[in-house]
Amino acid sequence: MKRAALLGLAAALYLAAAWTVAPGFYDGFAPPQPYNFVCPPPIAGANLPPKSGHLVIMVINGVSDANSAFTDDGQLVIGFLPGSFDVTGKTQVTVDITPVSPCPNPPGLHFSTNAYQVAADAPLIKSATLVMRYSNLATDPSFVYRADSPNGPWTNIGASPQAQVYTIDTKTDKLGYFAAGYPAGSVSKGGGGASNQILPVTIAVLIVLVLVGGLPVTILRRRQARRGAAIDEEDDEEP
Amino acid sequence: MLAVEWTRALVASAPNAAVPALLLGGGALALTAWGWPAGTLGLGRSRLGLRVLGGLALAIVLLLPAAARVTSVPILPPALAAAAIAVSIGEEIAFRGALFSALEDAAGGPVAVIGSTALWTAAHALSHPAEFLPAVAAAGLLFGLWRLLCRDLVGPIIGHVIADLAL
Repeated sequence: MKRAALLGLAAALYLAAAWTVAPGFYDGFAPPQPYNFVCPPPIAGANLPPKSGHLVIMVINGVSDANSAFTDDGQLVIGFLPGSFDVTGKTQVTVDITPVSPCPNPPGLHFSTNAYQVAADAPLIKSATLVMRYSNLATDPSFVYRADSPNGPWTNIGASPQAQVYTIDTKTDKLGYFAAGYPAGSVSKGGGGASNQILPVTIAVLIVLVLVGGLPVTILRRRQARRGAAIDEEDDEEP
Repeated sequence: MLAVEWTRALVASAPNAAVPALLLGGGALALTAWGWPAGTLGLGRSRLGLRVLGGLALAIVLLLPAAARVTSVPILPPALAAAAIAVSIGEEIAFRGALFSALEDAAGGPVAVIGSTALWTAAHALSHPAEFLPAVAAAGLLFGLWRLLCRDLVGPIIGHVIADLAL
């Protein structure tokens, strides 16, 4: 009994500790870096504020150089090809990425990521590649949305089907406000390589295995214990 | 053990190095048990069915907080899954196997539980953000107590492998 109580206590301690952090901290692969939410969901546990990003792109021979701007926590990356900006009269282009607060809540849409403002001091004239990371605690976004103002209207600018796990990417020919999400009332298509049901199914299978496997083992052990007790009694009865 | 774990964590962050680092790290950790009898490490064959069931039960505990909250999990590619299995087994053999047995021989069971948990947590300091370490320590304590009270390492190995594969 004491053994079971100690193990139960340790299990309870683990459950409490694991509940305070985002799931997925094991070491088979690099743990997913916790997402930094502007508006954290209640299940997020400890949350740090999201970071902003700043980039200076040099103008070389009258053409803006290729470069990528990203937030310091890597939650948004935007890549620019050579000549992406109209650099008339400029020697450099400045790009700033800022998380938007308060969180936009447009009607008919659910955002899985923070909204970010991506601004530059020169007009964008070539498409840029936008990559947004999202949390494993959020529903997988289906699309990236863009707006000229945090109040909208938000336009669906698509999503690449080849996105890495927990990232969504697309191309944009305008800067502005960006967020990844899905239409309200629709079922998200899910991110690349992810499964929505595997974990609950795994737990259910494990519970069934423990129950189904545990019953015969328990019965066998009790039978063995009774036999042992009977043999002891017989031994005691012998003169 | 700490050197192996920290080196593994640093090397794994390089491009395309995660799988080799995990495989080699897991192998190197398993080597720490070289020369120890299987029974002393908790790897004897008695009550094997019960030990396997115990491992499944440990996996349920480890996965419960995630299963209650996560909407999706990544499916590991085969190479990474194999590497995850290797490093899980290696860590259990090293920390709850060889290190635990050495500490228990030297100073008794409670010191073995506390010592193996402390080193296990320190070993994850480079690969995990600081806020994850209390949960890592709690998992180490659960495994260590299981090892002490059930005289078994099969359960922690099974629980650890399943948790790594499922998350």
